[in-house]
Amino acid sequence: MKELFSTKSLLGILYFAAGMIILGGIWALVSKLTKNEIPNPQATWLVFKEVMHKPFQNDPDYKGIGTKLLSSLTRVAIGFGLGSLFAIPLGLLMGSSKIAMKMINPIVQILKPVSPLAWFPLGLAIFQDSPKASIFMIFICSVWPTLINAAFGASHIPQDHKNVSKAFGFSTWKYLTKILLPFSLPHIITGLRLSIGVAWMVIVAGEMLSGGQGLGYFVWEEGFNGGNIAKILVAIIIIGLVGSLLDKCFTWLQQRFSYAV
Amino acid sequence: MSTVTINTEQNNIGMVADELLKQAVAETSIEVNNVSVSFKTPKGIYTAVKDINLTVQKGEIISLIGHSGCGKSTLMGTISGMVKPTQGEVIANGKKVNAPGPDRGIVFQNYSLLPWLTVYKNIFVAVDSALKDKTTGEKVALVETNLKMVNLWEHKDKLPGQLSGGMKQRVAIARAFSINPKILLLDEPFGALDALTKSTMHVELLKLWVMDNRQKTIVMVTHDIEEAIFLSDRVVVMNNGPAATIKEIVDVPLSRPRNKKDIVHDPAYIKIHDKLLNLLIDKFSIADITIEQ
Repeated sequence: MKELFSTKSLLGILYFAAGMIILGGIWALVSKLTKNEIPNPQATWLVFKEVMHKPFQNDPDYKGIGTKLLSSLTRVAIGFGLGSLFAIPLGLLMGSSKIAMKMINPIVQILKPVSPLAWFPLGLAIFQDSPKASIFMIFICSVWPTLINAAFGASHIPQDHKNVSKAFGFSTWKYLTKILLPFSLPHIITGLRLSIGVAWMVIVAGEMLSGGQGLGYFVWEEGFNGGNIAKILVAIIIIGLVGSLLDKCFTWLQQRFSYAV
Repeated sequence: MSTVTINTEQNNIGMVADELLKQAVAETSIEVNNVSVSFKTPKGIYTAVKDINLTVQKGEIISLIGHSGCGKSTLMGTISGMVKPTQGEVIANGKKVNAPGPDRGIVFQNYSLLPWLTVYKNIFVAVDSALKDKTTGEKVALVETNLKMVNLWEHKDKLPGQLSGGMKQRVAIARAFSINPKILLLDEPFGALDALTKSTMHVELLKLWVMDNRQKTIVMVTHDIEEAIFLSDRVVVMNNGPAATIKEIVDVPLSRPRNKKDIVHDPAYIKIHDKLLNLLIDKFSIADITIEQ
């Protein structure tokens, strides 16, 4: 194993600390300029500690921040999971068949730019239930990046690989599992990574609309309506940390399933 | 009684003689009859090869040689079944070629290994697909034998990305051999290798062919004259495309086994070499090239 603290990694930590100090400085300055309308880092830290107290408490009258986070994550997981299950096969189909591409691609191009929030009322009308509507919204917005990337992967399978399949008489199943899927996998994971990023962004907005639960509700109700700006800042930090953690997971997956040619 | 016995004996002798005669008269392995291949392109119809006739005997090694773009790979494609002839037909192992089949093993130009599968799995997948009626045990044994034959058994768990070019090509050759095809088709198999590795691979290929009692027919596409002479019994020289035809078929009556170092001093070798060189570059003089530019 290499040294844990080489000069390079030590420098990295130093630069990171410097960046954080600069950010903290700007934050403190903004706080001062707004006459503490925006709470300064120290005040926010106090609220952060208070919020983090008993994070997983789950009483009808008080839900801890951890419980809220989990409820947001659960909804993202369900919407994202269903969206991916739908998008991956459809994307691979689009990439493999020119007819499917011509049929589906125009629809994708029209629906993709629509803000996920516009789907929320539609979900509400369909399911008559706001948590289900936010899952629906996550589902829709998770579909596009994965769909497009899976289709890209499947449509770029090198002729060489197809020749192998033809020359040795691969069955359709073998072609799918030994050529199409492994080749498209890195592209699919890129799509999933983009999707989870969008889903995590959208869930906060969705929960502001649906109310009742999750981090979005926390930001809106306890933060803004409760007049506690520090709680908004705390929520922003938590949302950001969790988002970057999710991204890291998929970056790791990307590296895990990439291959040298 | 006695006459009957004699008759039967005579019949038996006759049958044995027939068998011997059949074996002595070389079996036809590949027959290319009047084959033309045209492709539709945005600029109109492009004819790659035209009116090709070629018969290859069982156990023969032949090379298709010509300038790049002369359609030698296309011609090979009609034998492998990857390319459908627009006109004419190809008979391989007594059957008309409609699609690729396990009786014809292909070694591709760019090795064409699947980069996400280990060396072992690359070969196993091919064996598993091509030889459906074999048991798993038999398939495993085939993969092992062929990997050992090309000296790659200790590298069986590596991914293609971890191998050198020569090793990748050996995997591709082992893969083609492992389905035990009667015909082996090599599409510029050693084109991407350095000169030294190339020489080693030539000898290895011949070794595999001899180990199989010279039963496999080998057709190879190449643009390397030395390679073509060293390996082949006959060299098929093609005209430049479009609508390429066979210019001439040159016999290589050099005895086997051939020795890489000695063969180049053999007067017969030098004669064939000169002949091929002339066939391939007679059109060009420096003056012609300047005018073309």
